[in-house]
Amino acid sequence: MRGRTRTRNIYLIPYMLWIVLFVIAPIVLIIYYSMFNIDGAWSLENYKRFFTPVYLSMTLRSFWYAGLITGFSLLIAYPTAYLLTKTEHKQLWLLLIILPSWINLLLKIYAFIGILGFYGPVNSFLDIIGVGTRQILFTDFSFIFVAVYIFIPYMILPIFNALEELNPSLVAAARDLGASSWATFRRVVFPLTFNGVKAGCRAVFIPALSLFMITRLIAGNRVITLGTAIEQHFLVTQDWGMGSTIAVFLIIAMGLTMILTETGKKVN
Amino acid sequence: MKRMGRLSLIYLTIVFVILYAPIFYLMYYSFNSAGTMHNFESFTFDWYREVFQDTRLFIILLNTLVIALLSSAISTAIGVLGALAITRVKTKRFQNALLTLNNVMIVSPDVIIGASFLVLFAMIGIKLGFGSVLISHIAFSVPIVVLMVLPNLEEMSPTLIDAARDLGASGWDVLTRVVIPYISPGIFAGFFMALTYSLDDFAVTFFVTGGGFSTLSVEIYSLARRGISLTINALSTLIFLATLILVIGYYFISKQGAKPKEAEVRE
Amino acid sequence: MPEETIIRFENITKQYDNDPPVLTDVSFELERGKFYTLLGPSGCGKTTIIRLIAGFVQPTTGAIYFDEQEISNIPPDKRRVNTIFQDYALFPHLNVFENVAFGLRVKRMKPDMIKAKVREALRFVNLEGLENRGITGMSGGQQQRVAVARAIVNEPEVLLLDEPLSALDLKLRSEMQYELRELQKNLGITFVFVTHDQEEALALSDEVFVLNSGVIQQRGTPNDIYDEPVNKFVADFIGESNIIPGIMINDYLVEFVGNQFECVDQGFYPNEPAEIVIRPEDLEITGKDQGKLQVRVDSQLFRGVHYEICCYDKDGNEWLVHSTRKVTVGDEIGLDFGPEDIHVMRLGETEDEFDRRLESYEEVRHAG
Repeated sequence: MRGRTRTRNIYLIPYMLWIVLFVIAPIVLIIYYSMFNIDGAWSLENYKRFFTPVYLSMTLRSFWYAGLITGFSLLIAYPTAYLLTKTEHKQLWLLLIILPSWINLLLKIYAFIGILGFYGPVNSFLDIIGVGTRQILFTDFSFIFVAVYIFIPYMILPIFNALEELNPSLVAAARDLGASSWATFRRVVFPLTFNGVKAGCRAVFIPALSLFMITRLIAGNRVITLGTAIEQHFLVTQDWGMGSTIAVFLIIAMGLTMILTETGKKVN
Repeated sequence: MKRMGRLSLIYLTIVFVILYAPIFYLMYYSFNSAGTMHNFESFTFDWYREVFQDTRLFIILLNTLVIALLSSAISTAIGVLGALAITRVKTKRFQNALLTLNNVMIVSPDVIIGASFLVLFAMIGIKLGFGSVLISHIAFSVPIVVLMVLPNLEEMSPTLIDAARDLGASGWDVLTRVVIPYISPGIFAGFFMALTYSLDDFAVTFFVTGGGFSTLSVEIYSLARRGISLTINALSTLIFLATLILVIGYYFISKQGAKPKEAEVRE
Repeated sequence: MPEETIIRFENITKQYDNDPPVLTDVSFELERGKFYTLLGPSGCGKTTIIRLIAGFVQPTTGAIYFDEQEISNIPPDKRRVNTIFQDYALFPHLNVFENVAFGLRVKRMKPDMIKAKVREALRFVNLEGLENRGITGMSGGQQQRVAVARAIVNEPEVLLLDEPLSALDLKLRSEMQYELRELQKNLGITFVFVTHDQEEALALSDEVFVLNSGVIQQRGTPNDIYDEPVNKFVADFIGESNIIPGIMINDYLVEFVGNQFECVDQGFYPNEPAEIVIRPEDLEITGKDQGKLQVRVDSQLFRGVHYEICCYDKDGNEWLVHSTRKVTVGDEIGLDFGPEDIHVMRLGETEDEFDRRLESYEEVRHAG
């Protein structure tokens, strides 16, 4: 057996190196940096600052927006995924749903600058139906709309997969036992696809907390998410300490989300 | 199967229209001679000509492709070794620990990856530019490859390896003649995913790039911040077509790979 | 005749971690050119034995010899044995030809040589012309043949078969049994066949090893095993049998169900408690108050070739009878049997103890 152990170790070396260098070390470094203030002195000042109303309200707002984005994505994605499983060439339709997510994110955001712009088609439409043109870009609405647009495919995919795994005879059994189609959905389909919903929420909520290019391009700095704040501190004000502190809290939020959306699937 | 109701059809149609509207909107105005994303004046190829004449853009495109291909090739190699290591680890605890660390990278938001890599590169003194971007792309692609390859390895019956050994194959023969060919669909999928992640990445690159090195995403971001420029539209049309070709190609290749399995189901 | 021994196990014990041992102190030798079957319930250690021979696992203690060379720690790719796996383990990414050629390719044999040998092997298993077929589209029987061809093309001296027929349906199974037996005769090499199906074991083998909980219970020809099971486990596992408690009064005289019967067994202590085995097909139905034993018919099932009749005697022992005669449920009937139909077993005796008893008995007889 010794020979086999040796080859296993050879396989392990590059991968372990990767884990140590790019998973463990960066997190440790972020925590380390969060304990230095802007002058490079060791202190817990950054943590104190984080608990001031400015940062706390920003954090809460960020969570609120991320929650809204996740909620709306789910609301639109679940029926879409459900209907997709009922189509004839469902794999093809699914591919078509995912295809836009492979187009560069920034291009899609950029497109919305035109669509939602003052002279864009949405405003022309509003003008025609008599509501009148208005500023849509750089509002909370535009931010959430574009974010939901970006995240929908990531929400559809896990839900679609969960629905596909659902044994159709379970639905038949529920109907056979006298459940209406709504009762079947509520008591059988939804609980059994809940892991897909959780996976989808995980895939949307965490990135939604940390978006910064949408806020910059669409929301015109009206919305500050944790991501925007981190980018601001690292790349604009060069206050890496504070940026790291916010990152620490984002990592904690990420950990909590991961635990909450744990689907109970482990190596078997 | 029941025919879909009218309402369902309308719902799906709306979802599809909204998903594709921005893309086609961009494409449509890439032919607008007025130079704006409203009021289509007349048809022109000017913006495309501009894209093709812009040597700076061409270099950026080349950078993006080189980074994408190199990083996905290297991360595929590391990822395959990683997946092999994970399946060969004996204790379940250690195996789950490795998988969790693998997943940490997958769920980590781009900003965190970008910021922490920036700190890492500053610490060990790597100059920001091509090297730092390449290393970052390799780093965030590895876990994806691992996840694509693992299911293939797990469904592989251990008797296949026994059989190969039994027939006289050395450890190296087993790896190259049995394991790698068997998991090749996963390797292929992993490489492809790594490629798309790399091509699509903006946030991480934005953090760790420097010295004038730029990729397409970063370039589009800085152009877009300056306002509307129809060169971006022309560029996005080209990117969309390239993506389409890539996806269709992938779809057919992976379908071909899956054919024997379908035959099995039919039996 | 030591030159004919090809494989020898010497006090092999195999234990994984701290679990109870899978094999305990197993010793045996296999001769060249015979068809051996390892028979036993799942978890009895039979598969472990062929994995030890193939080299996939190493013994915890003890030594394995091949041609009197110790091979305990030689890796599987260096052993002159090949295996046919329960799930065939055919490589799904290779076609039929490449599957069969695998062993030759890794030995770096010349391509035209490989071609000739693979053709030959495929002809041997009646799969000519299917060289370019994929594996996944084939039927179970065809896959089985590919597995056979893939193993024998390497010209192993011992072929190990790990329940290769268990995935096939009944009809195909008996067809393949004939083919395997033919194959072994034609090749003239040693086969070690693992199965939990006793009929298969009796039909195919020159010699059967019956295993239970990591110990060889009995080895012998199918006839020996069937007629002279050494203990209750073997009697129960091989075929159907009536096992009744009794007392060995004297040599050639046994008592059960309140009566004394003449028998052919010997070597017990006087009045030693024992177990009596009578096969259901050895019992003959006679009229009421005739025969040696009176029983009441409890139930009856038609099994095609015979009726399976379940009866109870006055002590409440169950008697299974196979008969072509139909009886009426609830009737009292008599059962008849001859002295040679009675087989008496000492309680919980192993094969070694059985052999020793016979020997010591012979000695006593000679001394007296």
